[in-house]
Amino acid sequence: MRLLQFTDSTFPVGTFSFSNGLETAGFENMVYDKATLRDFVKSQSLQAAYTDGIAALAAHRAYLRGDYKAIVEADKTLILCKMNDEARQMLQRMGKKLAELASRLFNSELVTKWLQGIKSADTPGTYPVAQGIAFAAAGIDEKDLFCSHQYGVVNMVLSAALRCIRVSHYDTQEILYEMSSDMEALYEKVKVMGIDEMNAFFPELDILASLHEKGNMRMFMN
Amino acid sequence: MAFDYQLRETTSDAGVPKVDFSHCREMAPYLDEPLAMYVGAPGKHGYLRLGFEIDPRGKCILRDLDRRAPLIVQQALYFDKEMPEMPCVYILSSGGPNVEGDRYQQDITMRKDSFAFVTTGAATKIAEMEHNYSGMVQNLVLEENTYLEFMPEPVYPCKHARFISDTSITIDESATLFYSEIYMGGRKYYNEGELFQYDILSVCCHAKRPDGTPLFREKFIIRPEEVNPRQLGIMGQYDVFANVIVLTPPEKSDRIYKDINPFIDKENKIACGITHLPNNAGLLFKVVGMEPGPVKAIVRDFLNSVRQVVKGHKLPEEFPWR
Repeated sequence: MRLLQFTDSTFPVGTFSFSNGLETAGFENMVYDKATLRDFVKSQSLQAAYTDGIAALAAHRAYLRGDYKAIVEADKTLILCKMNDEARQMLQRMGKKLAELASRLFNSELVTKWLQGIKSADTPGTYPVAQGIAFAAAGIDEKDLFCSHQYGVVNMVLSAALRCIRVSHYDTQEILYEMSSDMEALYEKVKVMGIDEMNAFFPELDILASLHEKGNMRMFMN
Repeated sequence: MAFDYQLRETTSDAGVPKVDFSHCREMAPYLDEPLAMYVGAPGKHGYLRLGFEIDPRGKCILRDLDRRAPLIVQQALYFDKEMPEMPCVYILSSGGPNVEGDRYQQDITMRKDSFAFVTTGAATKIAEMEHNYSGMVQNLVLEENTYLEFMPEPVYPCKHARFISDTSITIDESATLFYSEIYMGGRKYYNEGELFQYDILSVCCHAKRPDGTPLFREKFIIRPEEVNPRQLGIMGQYDVFANVIVLTPPEKSDRIYKDINPFIDKENKIACGITHLPNNAGLLFKVVGMEPGPVKAIVRDFLNSVRQVVKGHKLPEEFPWR
């Protein structure tokens, strides 16, 4: 039940405010139907897996070891590797919300210390790292963490799609169902990677994010 | 007296630093020795060390030069009509394309107040490979108030090419670096076309302050066999990709950012975007397009904006043969 609680889109960290560039992709007519939406979501999923996913797993493992330094290292490395300004803001905004919530849910010294670290700007406080900590504190294993994180990314875009792309609920659910079959293999690839191996090559997504950053479309925060 | 401040060329016998990427997980499938010349054999291990500085007369010069085949730098030229005081350097390779088992290292130091333009003489082709890979390490050091424009010609990875690079930048907070890379999808007009048929491109660029404070780290690994670069969000329909990093103080990057308008031009199939790097380090500018010419033109336009804000000079017209 805790896994469902932390994965639910109503979990109060603000995922509904973001579209991950879909708003601009729709406006530019790059995403306009189910097939283009599926490709767009796949790119988002991969981009998140090899950056956020690596950081989340590192934070989860560090929490279980009681290693605060390694949590901060994963957090800082993720920010260094996030090239998009709005993406960094999104991760930090959601991360802080989850850290605040986690400090109420768990009686944990590490969680309290981490929230203090965010408030004093000693650590950036990114969402994937917050997830890693919260899932470890709740006793959820790292594979479930990875899948929940992926679900969050994919569902964020698909929910936004219902509001700005001509697709139906049937289309988005079919995409979600199809993508879940890739998760096992993706986790196997990501789980062996260290924080110094984060990587991303998504120039089209970067350009869309930049257009949104400098543009006037503001239904979503990114 | 003047003689003391001419080019200081050294070719020490101490050998050149080892370039090895075997610790990178993505290169693990490509560590077998080439059947012909071994990894790093003489002529296959290029090394370049360039040092720019201001001489006592106040002239900016290429002071230090160390080079090993196949990399060649002859001397600095002063051909920039808009900045005739700026040394311009062409890096050439006598070996032609990068081949399997090649290793390269390029170290550039900009000493206090110096400025320079560095480019390559022609496009860099990464040849078709069967064994091993081609790897390059770059170390760029920019001291106080320095300015470096590093804009090599495009890289063409052929079928089954494997290429990895690691660029490490140490930059003072008063300095400016314009660092661009252009990657073709491959030899587009060779035979039936050879786009995205290479095995792997792994490109990493990271920067820090002289006190060790990290600024950013960008790495991309492209393996067309594993993830199709044609996927929407990656390259989509585009064939050419340019990545430009501008490290400059925040007041300058804010002015540059304000002047640049990202766009997607569907008719001409070209697009660009700009964003701020982490830690107020500067800007990241990306271009995708169909042919190298228009992509290079946009990168040059961007350099023109950067140069005007930072140095107060515009860019000269491009040579007709470039």
